[in-house]
Amino acid sequence: MTAAATVKQNSNWQAQLSLLYQQHGSRTVLAQRQHHGPLLVQRPFYPEQGVCHTYIIHPPGGVVGGDQLQIDVQVQENAHTLLTTPASGKFYNSHARASQLQQNLQVANNAILEWLPQDNIFFEGSHATLKTTIELADHARFIGWEISCLGRPCSDALFDSGHCQQMLTLSRNGMPLLIDNTRLQAGHEVLTEKWGLSGYTVTGTLMATPVDRSLVEELRAEFQHGEDCIFSVTLINDVLLCRFLGRHGEQARLLFEQAWKIIRPHVIGLQACSPRIWKT
Amino acid sequence: MAVATVIIMVIRMTSPSLSQLRLWQLISPSLPVGAYAYSGGLEAAIEAGWVSEKEQAAAWIGSLLQHGLGQLDVPVFKRLYDSRHAQDSQQFHYWNHYLLASRESAELQQEDKHLGRALFRLLNDLDVDLLPFCHADQDYSYVAMFACACSAWQISLQDALHGILWSWCENQVAAAIKLVPLGQTAGQQLLSGLQKQIPDCVHAGLSLADDDIGFTLPGLGIASAQHEAQYSRLFRS
Repeated sequence: MTAAATVKQNSNWQAQLSLLYQQHGSRTVLAQRQHHGPLLVQRPFYPEQGVCHTYIIHPPGGVVGGDQLQIDVQVQENAHTLLTTPASGKFYNSHARASQLQQNLQVANNAILEWLPQDNIFFEGSHATLKTTIELADHARFIGWEISCLGRPCSDALFDSGHCQQMLTLSRNGMPLLIDNTRLQAGHEVLTEKWGLSGYTVTGTLMATPVDRSLVEELRAEFQHGEDCIFSVTLINDVLLCRFLGRHGEQARLLFEQAWKIIRPHVIGLQACSPRIWKT
Repeated sequence: MAVATVIIMVIRMTSPSLSQLRLWQLISPSLPVGAYAYSGGLEAAIEAGWVSEKEQAAAWIGSLLQHGLGQLDVPVFKRLYDSRHAQDSQQFHYWNHYLLASRESAELQQEDKHLGRALFRLLNDLDVDLLPFCHADQDYSYVAMFACACSAWQISLQDALHGILWSWCENQVAAAIKLVPLGQTAGQQLLSGLQKQIPDCVHAGLSLADDDIGFTLPGLGIASAQHEAQYSRLFRS
């Protein structure tokens, strides 16, 4: 079924964006782009060789109760795409109505996807589900992260009501490689207990595959404990997994960007080339 | 004759079935899979300074039981048990990978794989028909092998789940006795408290739909990832 047909059948989807990347000669092109509602992409950039950098934009600037957003990305054989967003995603107080963002990323054999969005901010009173499904073919490579901020501690607006579910599944050939289901609810002990968030309000997950143990050691040597955050590195199957707990989304993004600069040559064989939008 | 038949019937009704005896075999601490060598993240929590006395051990283990095992291992166990029963190899492998992919750190995943491998070997030695679609070169979660055995030996799902959770609690308490450390009596008090949680844990876990399965414990994952990098460990990782 095509993306457009899915939209028509599910009128609940208020915004959908569907992107298809293909390798044409020495560069990756955005061969197909379909959108429905307020989810767009800017014209791709080529700041490094043939890698296609694309920014995903959500013009309303935030998600309210009842919103359903879906992003589908397909990177076909041999193509290499880097996706990011120019601004934080915002999930506003939804007055008990649920909102959902579903992201389906498919990476074909010998293709590469770098999924490096800005953080998502879940305002007090938001009820959000963020479902990210990454499906890799045999020799697909992937680097990605998700950063989530609960409430707005800077303005003393703590996450004292609402809930936020982040369901992430990374699979290869249909078999799960890494699953992270972070289920956060205001007032629940998961926010405060040591096995949960220990009172931190920002969580981050950075993944890269395929990697081996040597990269884990290299990152561990590089990233020691910060004063006001925790950073850990481990390996699940052949997926590097870095976890961040802290209080500032920007701090998580900067640390992940630093880690990405170390990871990228290992996984992709290219030096990091940061999207210009991160510097603004 | 009639009296003897009645007596035999009474004995059959009141003595445990062979299935139950098989379950006791599986949950015995002397099952030779080496479970005593693993702490399931408890050593990491103790090293982080989070667990230093009995009440903290009870809260830590109880939370992992309720949120971790209750929302992940229990519902996935049911799916593994059902797929083994239906001889659905594809579903069985999917849920086995699902469990392994959900472990929060390399050491927690390795622990599950090592125990799964040890139980695979043992089950293979006990009954050749036990594992029709499992192979020695694959990684299995301990839970997947346990579910296989329970399905093959006609242990009811309810009994199987109560059994595997009890054996997990028992193993956690044994680790707490060594590591916190606690006295033997304190250990038994801890176990008495934990086992009261088990029925609710089974009930809640069995009611979960596919989309509600899984409850990542980020703090456990972080402590365990840091524990992997350390050298002075009593327990394997």
